[in-house]
Amino acid sequence: MKTNSLNKKFDKIRFLEENNKLVSKDQNRLLNKFLNNKLAVLGLILFTIIILATIFAPLLSPYDPLKVDLRSMRQPPSLDHWFGTDNTGRDVFSRVLYGGRVSIFVGLGSSLMAALIGLAIGCYGGYRGGWVDVIALRISEIFTSFPQIILVLLLVSITGQSLTNLFVIFILTGWGGMYRLSRARMLSLREEEYVQALESFGISTFKICYKHMLPNALGPVMVMITLSTAMFILTEAGLSFLGLGVPLNVPTWGNILNVATDIVVLQNYWWMWAPVGIVISVFVLAVNFIGDGLRDSTDPSQQG
Amino acid sequence: MIFVISFLVYFGLDLTPGDAVSHMISPELAATITAEKLEAMREAYGLNATFLERYWIWLTSCLKGDFGYSMAGGVAIKDIMVKTIPATLELSIVALIISTILGCSLGILSALKKGSATDSGLTVAGMAGVSIPEFFFALVAILIFGMHFQWLPVGGRLLPHYENFLDRIPNIVMPSLVLALALTAGAMRYSRSSMLDVLSREFIKTARSKGLPEWRINLLHGFRVALTPVVVLIGFRLPLLIGGSTIIEQVFQWPGIGNMFIRSVRASDYPLVMMISLMYVFVVLTASLLIDLLTALIDPRVRLGKE
Repeated sequence: MKTNSLNKKFDKIRFLEENNKLVSKDQNRLLNKFLNNKLAVLGLILFTIIILATIFAPLLSPYDPLKVDLRSMRQPPSLDHWFGTDNTGRDVFSRVLYGGRVSIFVGLGSSLMAALIGLAIGCYGGYRGGWVDVIALRISEIFTSFPQIILVLLLVSITGQSLTNLFVIFILTGWGGMYRLSRARMLSLREEEYVQALESFGISTFKICYKHMLPNALGPVMVMITLSTAMFILTEAGLSFLGLGVPLNVPTWGNILNVATDIVVLQNYWWMWAPVGIVISVFVLAVNFIGDGLRDSTDPSQQG
Repeated sequence: MIFVISFLVYFGLDLTPGDAVSHMISPELAATITAEKLEAMREAYGLNATFLERYWIWLTSCLKGDFGYSMAGGVAIKDIMVKTIPATLELSIVALIISTILGCSLGILSALKKGSATDSGLTVAGMAGVSIPEFFFALVAILIFGMHFQWLPVGGRLLPHYENFLDRIPNIVMPSLVLALALTAGAMRYSRSSMLDVLSREFIKTARSKGLPEWRINLLHGFRVALTPVVVLIGFRLPLLIGGSTIIEQVFQWPGIGNMFIRSVRASDYPLVMMISLMYVFVVLTASLLIDLLTALIDPRVRLGKE
């Protein structure tokens, strides 16, 4: 029975091979390399679980994250409330899920936007140079001479606290790094022969830049997107923990942790803050694992 | 560079709603005060001058060492800085020393035992160190060591009977260790890859062929060259250190500059926010210059005039 099914499998593989369907493509090689990295796969699994959990939050938790229930204040974890309830009787588990939506959205969204802006300017600037590049380089220098959190706090103090502001601030502080990275890539790609060939065919600058060169600069940028997502999520959590990030009425991971600034809560009601902290750590760890795996599979110089 | 930034910062703060006068008067006073009186106050504080004039006045007085006054309580910003910077330096230096020693030695250990269980364990631990939010780690540390076992004080820096640094050691242990956590992870990762890189070079083979003992090769030949990027890393870690210390100081109620910065952001104390951030920029830019010089000193290949 067993050998029979194995034979069938081999037949299938031979059939595929004969029809030239088993030729591995370049994309597959990268993917395989990524999948061979156990930590990266673990990261991807954890990442997917947390994302799915936040997306399907209404199915997983029957409680409204904002609903105050004064009859069940500060209850320890139970079957009804998995992570217990907080000072005003809100269910911590559903707050963690809904908070994850905001936190992940801010982290991932702003780093994607920052990457988009950085890539758009960086590719053109690196390839063509000119005044756009000079100005962008100076501006990004200004941004990078601030320690990141100081710049964020400074901008928060100027613009005031809101979710949109935080989003914009993250993009403002994040694009510089992406710009420099993609610019440096483009500077070395510019000397490649295929670019000269394209130029000699008279293909337009934009097309060479964004269609032919950009894909080759994507690898390191992808790594940077994951790393900055991790960083933004940590920064958001830190800011909201201090009460300076997203306004407190919106549940985010940082805002849930904010209760731990109260020493009574810290000492007596661990379930209000410890689970969130662990979820943040696990999520950021997962993102970092993915970033590391991406780096190993895309960048040949970073092995070992 | 710093001038450009100071200009931008001043400009940004100029755009914030409300000027110094509207922050100074109480709501009751605002209800009764006349428009002329308000205008006179503005005139007295020099708020009616044009933007460039005000910037010039501010800049020249800064260069003379007069940083202006905090809006909350009217304390001179210079006094605040003199009071808070030593506390931050104390914390940061201790954390920097711990993390550099620990990070470099662990990194080199894992480079020498590449592929072993120790190596992969340390790599994962390093990732975890970067991923756990520092303040969460701090909270857990406070709960366990400060409250449950009561081994260490939960925060603060100076108590009335404290006289010298030795008295403060119990207070500095937790914040500095927590602050060192993420930095150690970074240093470890960096020194590992730097050491691996160096160990694969030709001159290590030469040293081996001379019959030198393995520890000599690793320490005197490998480590010395591997150190260069690590020094650079200390500079890169400076912003991280500053960022970390702002939040950690808040958690442990450490009376440093980061704590002050957060407090001033909360209170919308713009002059103070501005001066502290300018100071940070100044520190970062100076540090990166120093690191360039230091690299030339340490790396035997960058030595000048010895070709």
